[in-house]
Amino acid sequence: MCTMYCPRPVVDTYNERLEITRAPHIDYAQAIPSSYYIDAKACLRVNFETCNLCAQTCTAGAIDFSQKPKNLELEVGAVVLTPGFGRVDESVLEKFGYGRYPDVLTAFEFERLTCASGPTEGHIVRPSDNRPPKKIAFLQCIGSRDETCGNGYCSSVCCMYAIKEASVAKEHEPDLDVSIFFMDVRTMGKGFDDARKRAQEKYGINVIRARVPRVDQVDGRLALTWTTDDGEHHSGIFDMVVLSVGLESPEDAEVISKVADIGLNRYNFCKTRVDSPLSTTREGVYVAGAFQGPKDIPESVTQASGVAAIASELLADARSSQTVSITYPEENKALEEQEPRIGIFVCHCGVNIAGVVDVKAVRDYAASLPGVVLYEDPLYSCSQDALKSIAEKIKENNLNRVVIAACSPRTHEPLFQETLRSVGLNPALVEMANIRDQCAWVHAQEPEAATEKAKDLVRMAAAKARLLSPLEQPTVDVTPGALVLGGGAAGMSAALSIADQGYNVTLIEKSRQLGGNLRRLTWTLDGENAKEVLEDMISRVEEHPGIEVITNSSVESISGYVGNFTSTIATGKKTRLVNHGVTVIATGAREYKPKSYAYGESPRIITQLELEEKLSRGRGFLKNARNIVMIQCVGSRGDDMSHCSRLCCTQAVKNALKLKELKPDANIYILYRDMRTYGFYEDAYREARKKGIIFLRYSPDEKPQVIKQARGIKVRTRDRLLGDDLEIPASLVVLSAGIEPGENQELSKILKAPLTSEGFFLEAHAKLRPVEIAVDGVYLCGLAHGPKSLEESVAQAKAAAAKATIPLAKGKVAVAPIVSRVDQDACIGCGICESLCPFNAIRLSKVGKRKKAQTITASCKGCGICASHCPTIAISMGGFTDEAIMAQIHAFSGRECGEE
Amino acid sequence: MTEAARQLLEDCGVDQERLALEWASAAEAPRFVELITGYVSSIKEKGPLGAAAGEIPREEMKRRLSAAVKAAEARKPRTLLGNLAKKLAKSGDYSPEAISKGVSQKVLPAMRSERIAVEARMILEEGPVDIDSLCKGTGASAQELEKIMAPLEKKGIVSRKKNKFSLAGRK
Amino acid sequence: MAEVNAALKENEMTQEGFDPKILGFFCHWCCYAAADSAGVSRYQYPPNVRVIRVMCTGRIDARFVIEAFRCGADGVFTGG
Repeated sequence: MCTMYCPRPVVDTYNERLEITRAPHIDYAQAIPSSYYIDAKACLRVNFETCNLCAQTCTAGAIDFSQKPKNLELEVGAVVLTPGFGRVDESVLEKFGYGRYPDVLTAFEFERLTCASGPTEGHIVRPSDNRPPKKIAFLQCIGSRDETCGNGYCSSVCCMYAIKEASVAKEHEPDLDVSIFFMDVRTMGKGFDDARKRAQEKYGINVIRARVPRVDQVDGRLALTWTTDDGEHHSGIFDMVVLSVGLESPEDAEVISKVADIGLNRYNFCKTRVDSPLSTTREGVYVAGAFQGPKDIPESVTQASGVAAIASELLADARSSQTVSITYPEENKALEEQEPRIGIFVCHCGVNIAGVVDVKAVRDYAASLPGVVLYEDPLYSCSQDALKSIAEKIKENNLNRVVIAACSPRTHEPLFQETLRSVGLNPALVEMANIRDQCAWVHAQEPEAATEKAKDLVRMAAAKARLLSPLEQPTVDVTPGALVLGGGAAGMSAALSIADQGYNVTLIEKSRQLGGNLRRLTWTLDGENAKEVLEDMISRVEEHPGIEVITNSSVESISGYVGNFTSTIATGKKTRLVNHGVTVIATGAREYKPKSYAYGESPRIITQLELEEKLSRGRGFLKNARNIVMIQCVGSRGDDMSHCSRLCCTQAVKNALKLKELKPDANIYILYRDMRTYGFYEDAYREARKKGIIFLRYSPDEKPQVIKQARGIKVRTRDRLLGDDLEIPASLVVLSAGIEPGENQELSKILKAPLTSEGFFLEAHAKLRPVEIAVDGVYLCGLAHGPKSLEESVAQAKAAAAKATIPLAKGKVAVAPIVSRVDQDACIGCGICESLCPFNAIRLSKVGKRKKAQTITASCKGCGICASHCPTIAISMGGFTDEAIMAQIHAFSGRECGEE
Repeated sequence: MTEAARQLLEDCGVDQERLALEWASAAEAPRFVELITGYVSSIKEKGPLGAAAGEIPREEMKRRLSAAVKAAEARKPRTLLGNLAKKLAKSGDYSPEAISKGVSQKVLPAMRSERIAVEARMILEEGPVDIDSLCKGTGASAQELEKIMAPLEKKGIVSRKKNKFSLAGRK
Repeated sequence: MAEVNAALKENEMTQEGFDPKILGFFCHWCCYAAADSAGVSRYQYPPNVRVIRVMCTGRIDARFVIEAFRCGADGVFTGG
């Protein structure tokens, strides 16, 4: 109402000023808190004491103009800075026609155009004439890697977001011609290179390696000229140009710095150290997210968890001293026992579902199903206001069963279960139909078939919902200790953090000493002394009274579940048992052993780590070095392993600079595919070029050749500018060997923890749960998760420690109520279930005169093998009863197929 | 368990390749897509249920499957299946050959006679028939059928007059 | 009725795109997770499968499979 009646239009900044809203508004549908607020700068009442319309129309009486700004004083133990990133100044964008030509957009604006709830409802149109463009160009590195605007760093995220936006656009308009102009394609995140390759192949996105200097308008279209690295000049006309704008330091960085008394780096981001990436220069003040340096969502979320761990370490003594526990209304058993009254919510998920599935048709179809009393179609059912509205509707309509047709129950069921609990319904009374991950997303080209499938899935879910019954929520006590697997930088950091938070840690290392890969480094990527970092970490671990280190050891088995694990640790021939509540995987990875480029055939063909080891012993071996050639992507990016190893580019640059310092007259060549010196590492890359290190790009189908001759080694590669082969007699060839996963298969089997196709451990969700895995109570950090820098490993280890201490601090964990139950009357005590249970969770015991089976609730995983093998069908599974599954089968058939 | 279902399906005149058992871990989305795509196209080639080579007409199949569901519910075949699973778990031999052999020798015979017994009664619900029609209806041999009907006669569930079977208490 | 069925069947057979009805039983931890992950990666596959989630393929009783076929499934895909 207030928004409707307000006479004062203001630009909608969330929609990138592409739309108008009013002074009182909500920023966006998922905003938290999801309540309206008044833009005080625009409001007529605030500024001119006129109007007051909104206050008069608000039926809830929620607008109070007598409020004045107040200063609050809070007493806190730690301060965390998470202001995010700022905008690149418009003067930088003007160079590319932004502001002058309407069809030059920023990527942020383009993102809003592709959004279903955005100003154009997801239609991509040119602002100049509202017509769909046919040809779009994305220009990368706008406001990044550009010293002329003061931003010498790489913003790290733009390459991937441009590819994502281009893919979304192509999905929307398959005939669209999309070109992306890169300097280097920097998709070094976990799984990103694969995603990029797929997008290129599937959507035919043109990748052009060139920096476009300017944008001109010709006859209402946009003209670009560029030069490729073979020296050729090109030009082209586009209908729309998207500027992939980088991430700046926050606009008020200097104010924050002054207020919080912390240091900034040369780009006005927060100053941190490589071994303590989340600590500012002032004790007790911490930082996470883009303010620490440009980064993607997974790294930001990881840092956020990590910073929580640091605050918990500092405040360990005060834990639980000021907490308030949530109370839930008592369960309305009478309502639960009534005939099913089902509410069905068919989610649009913005354009994710509604872009393919006819959501309204599915909703209307749901109305026809037996027992359904309410059917709705929220835009985002998981948004805070939608959840609130679902809760209200449950109450208003006396619902006792709920069906959410949306995404996967694996990720979102707990959220909706919580909503039920909040209104006095048992959480087991909600059922989800997965019409996004397993329908809309995977049948994007067949909207009709997808809609039919969605209807079927909703019908099946409703059939099951009718038969759902309330389930008890058992809890078990937690053993207050952690097992950390791996004594490298990540494992040690995680162990220290958990121990500093007041819990015992057992740290297992397979080799004879702590340190892992850090032991082989001489300098960290930003030039700090790696040995000092290592020594400091080891001494802190060894001196900590809460950490027990067991070297020369490995895990033979881990049994149990979150809160109560028991592991067998083998040291030589001896084994011992350790009880622990949580497990942290920090088993690391190793340098890839090259299989090509004549590696192993000459002592002068070595890897980067071998070079560092040589360098740490002195410069003698460089005495006669004239030409040194480094080759990137050895083993990585489809060479032998499919992933990008993320670090090798920076490592090569770092070592090249070191060599140049020690031997200024040597020629150093780096043969690369894309230089991926992301973030502030870009500074080192620029320095290397300035110091005369020669960078030559090669394409994967024209790899360099290392030729061993009787006297010396020759490296042959293509000089793209000359268009001819170049032969370099090399005194030293350094192979940037990638990072190869360790032998994770065995541990993966022991823990039932899934691996990625490359062999790294798979996190539970790349963005939402980056340090957890699919198994409850097991956390992940360091190279075992994927290639990353020391700084990133340490932050991730802290994050894993933060997550791992949650069950430890709670002291109790809830067991999912999906466990088996034995009908004692029907059980004949045959013992088949006992012998088949993989978790020893069902046992025979004497009940009266006869033996009967009984479930050990805390151990039961709900697999149901007992139920499917019970001769008398005496065992039923919580949430997955025979009746419910049969009802789903009957609903699947669509016809009357009940018992005949 | 899947193997038991597979053999029981075959017994019901369903092409057993219509039942697939595949493995794809959480990390193997591409493999999953490959499997599901391959499977759907193989079913497309077979055509609708009842149309694949060696399958029996749909109406008859439906009755047979109804009987099979009941058979899979019965205690005796379930006990045999449970015991087989127990034995396999103990030996650790989960090779397809061992499972297939175990099921066909230890479980299927009991499942099949149970299925035939149930189906025979379903046929008799419609009215008395002779042994040939029962054989044809259930897909059993005369010898097999005699063996299955005998205990039913004994219990007084089925009666036989002039070579025609009927349900007791019905004309 | 049998005739109608036969006619229907023939119709389905001769139709270019016979669209089989397939029921899937997917393990929560493995195949169901793989299917979700296929969605996240936007892989595309035929829309013929309707999924019943179970906590493990061990849950699948022979009765479920037989019943699915009795109810007219053209195929049952169990995914562990």
